[in-house]
Parts: sequence; structure tokens; C-alpha cells
Amino acid sequence: MPTQAEFEQTIKSGELIESTREMTPEYLRELKHTLIVSGDTELISAPAYYLAAKRAPSINAFMTGIAIIQDELAHAHIAYHILEELGEDQEKLIFSRDPKSFRYPYAFDVPLDSWTELVVANGFYDQAGFCLLGDIHDKCSYGPWKRGLNKVMLEENFHLRNGRTWMKRISASGGAAKDELQRAVDWMFPLSVEWFGLPDSKKMHSTQLEYRLKGLTNDQLRQWWLSTVVPYCEQIGVKVPAHKDERDGKDVWELDYPFPCEFDAEHKRWDFKRPSTWDDVLARWRARGPRNVEMVAMFQEEFHNFRKTHHRDS
Amino acid sequence: MNETLWAALSEVQDPEMPVNLVDLGVIYGVTEDGGVVEVDLTFTAMGCPASEFILDDVRERLLREPGVNEVRVNIVWDPPWTTARMTEAGRDALEAWGLAV
Repeated sequence: MPTQAEFEQTIKSGELIESTREMTPEYLRELKHTLIVSGDTELISAPAYYLAAKRAPSINAFMTGIAIIQDELAHAHIAYHILEELGEDQEKLIFSRDPKSFRYPYAFDVPLDSWTELVVANGFYDQAGFCLLGDIHDKCSYGPWKRGLNKVMLEENFHLRNGRTWMKRISASGGAAKDELQRAVDWMFPLSVEWFGLPDSKKMHSTQLEYRLKGLTNDQLRQWWLSTVVPYCEQIGVKVPAHKDERDGKDVWELDYPFPCEFDAEHKRWDFKRPSTWDDVLARWRARGPRNVEMVAMFQEEFHNFRKTHHRDS
Repeated sequence: MNETLWAALSEVQDPEMPVNLVDLGVIYGVTEDGGVVEVDLTFTAMGCPASEFILDDVRERLLREPGVNEVRVNIVWDPPWTTARMTEAGRDALEAWGLAV
């Protein structure tokens, strides 16, 4: 194990850390936490997307949906595999944890009920994943993860393309289809904005930034997301509650609603007239949303059933 | 004209891998007759999840060529695509990306 001074020097110099021998216990803990959030997010997107992909409007669209799910599972596998190398038990992490202890963004707990909602998820949630992982890919001090993300980024690009192409197509067809798209955007946009977590003003210290596990703050990542999503939505004629402004000669993206505010997960509706506090949001996240238990059961239940019926004495 | 069309197609990237369609070896033929371009094209797998994107991109790019008014794409499965159909440049691009071909 390195001394604190040696470790700090490695981090400061921009060098990569390649093994646990080069880590302090605090770094290892923070790295594992970051990997669990990433692995859980990719993993849970599979059942979330699957439940909507089966409503695909054509075989070809279904195939694309399933390919995206396969990518997400592979991305989850990369994160859990690294966790295993760091001493965690992959099987326990995936199959024996309580649903509430999974660490993925709350947005996935709100059901995606149609192909339209799935493609908005590809356009919004995968863009959020792209910003978060792109930043880690760019800045991460842990070599094996940084390299593993090379392919992940390309594949996420493909998911974004699916989202954007379909959103544009649905918007252009107008009428009831476009109304459905707008309704999906109305509830999914603020959930994606929330994805990036507490605003910087509420989060004074970030160990992840200090250890170079990521490079951008929550607000910087949120701005990056807004700078890609808002212009695209405007371009295809979809309304979003945000606009571009200028501050100190720089473009900033401002939200047109109180952030945070009340969300009714059952009806998938935001109440912009009822601002809330970050404590309320954190409590909602901790309690998890409507589909948490069902989705975790989708991969945990059969694993245990299979184990029971295929039991071998070793 | 034919050379320009091949050059145009070599600007169309595969949506999943950092390689263009010509170097990937999925374009089997291009002909032009009175502003109508016919492309024989295959996919690397029958279940190619990006097939629709590839067709859109091919049409969109060829229609930007002066004198092209219509693009007809024939999807062909014979001969089937294998990695042997890739060009040297395509192989290099994928190897640089970390895929052994």
C-alpha cells in the first residue's frame, strides 16, 4: 500500500492506478462505490428497456431494442467484473442484494410503458449515461476502467442515435403520435435533469473529483446534458422546460421550473407549482420508485429458482 | 460517376464501429443510370440491429451527390459477408479500436 503522500503524488501527476497495491483504502472504497452505481445503472436499464422494447412497432425496431439491451448488460458486466477483481463477489452483488440497495438513478424506477417512452429514454437517459461515462472515460484515474470504457462510449452513441432518430420520426408524424411524444418528454426531461444529483451549491466536497474518478461536477455534467438535449428537442419541434442564457459571456442552460419540485410517480406528472427540497428528493430516491422490486426480481428470481432445481453437491 | 459514388459511400460510417461501409466490405456494387443509383449491400449479420440506420445513411449520402435523384438499395445475402471482405484499411481501423479481425 502506498503512503498517503505517494498516493497523492500519483493522483496529482495524472498517472493511472493499475492495481489495489497502488490504492489507499479510501480510494478503493470510493472506486467501488462509483463502479457499483455504474454497474447497477447499466444492469437495471435492461429490464426497464425490455418491458418497453417488447412493444416495438416492427421486427426491425424490436431487434434494435434488444441489441441495445444486450449492450447495456455487457456494460454492466464490465463494471461488475472490475468489482470482482477488486475483491467483491459479483454473484452476491447482482443476485443477493435487496432491491432497495441498488444504486441506479431513480428515473429507471418509473415505468417505460411504450415504444415512444423507450426511445425518449434512449435520447435522454442514454445521453445522461453518455455524459457521466464520457467524463469517467476522459478523466478516470483507474486504468482498467478507463480502458474498458472505450467501446462502451461507441455503443452508447448507437443508443442515442436510436433515440434521436425515432423521436424525430414520431415528432414529424404529428397528431396523436406527437402528443404522446410530448407527454413522454414532459415527465422524462425533469427526471433526467435530476439524474446528475445534488447541485454543486449543496455539495461542497466531492471525493470522486479529488481522486480523479471523474472530472466534472454535477452541475457541469447537467449543463453538458442540457446543451445537447435542449437544442435537439427544439430542432425537432418538441417543447422542453429549459432555455439558453448567457452569463459572463458564456452559454448557460436555465431551467424554466423550480428545481427540485414535486413528482407524482404513479401518474408520471410533475407539479411545477410545488417546489420541494433536496431532502424530499433524497427521501424519494431512497424509498425507490414503482418498478424497483419488479425489475430486480426479473433477474434475481430465476437465478435462485435455477440454483434450487439444478443443485449439485460439490 | 461510379468512382464518385464509391467515394461518397466511403464517407458513410458504420453506426456501431469506427469503419466506413466500403472498408467494411458490405457494399457489393453501385451502378447509376439516368440519375437512379442502385446499390447492392449486405449486412455483417442478418440480425444487424443498425440495418435501418445504415440504409437511411446510404440513401441520404448518395442523394447529396449532384445528378442523383433516386437511390434503390438491394439487400443481398449471397455471397455472405465475412471478415475476409474487409479492406486493409478497414482491418487496421478495427484493430486500432481493439477488435481482432
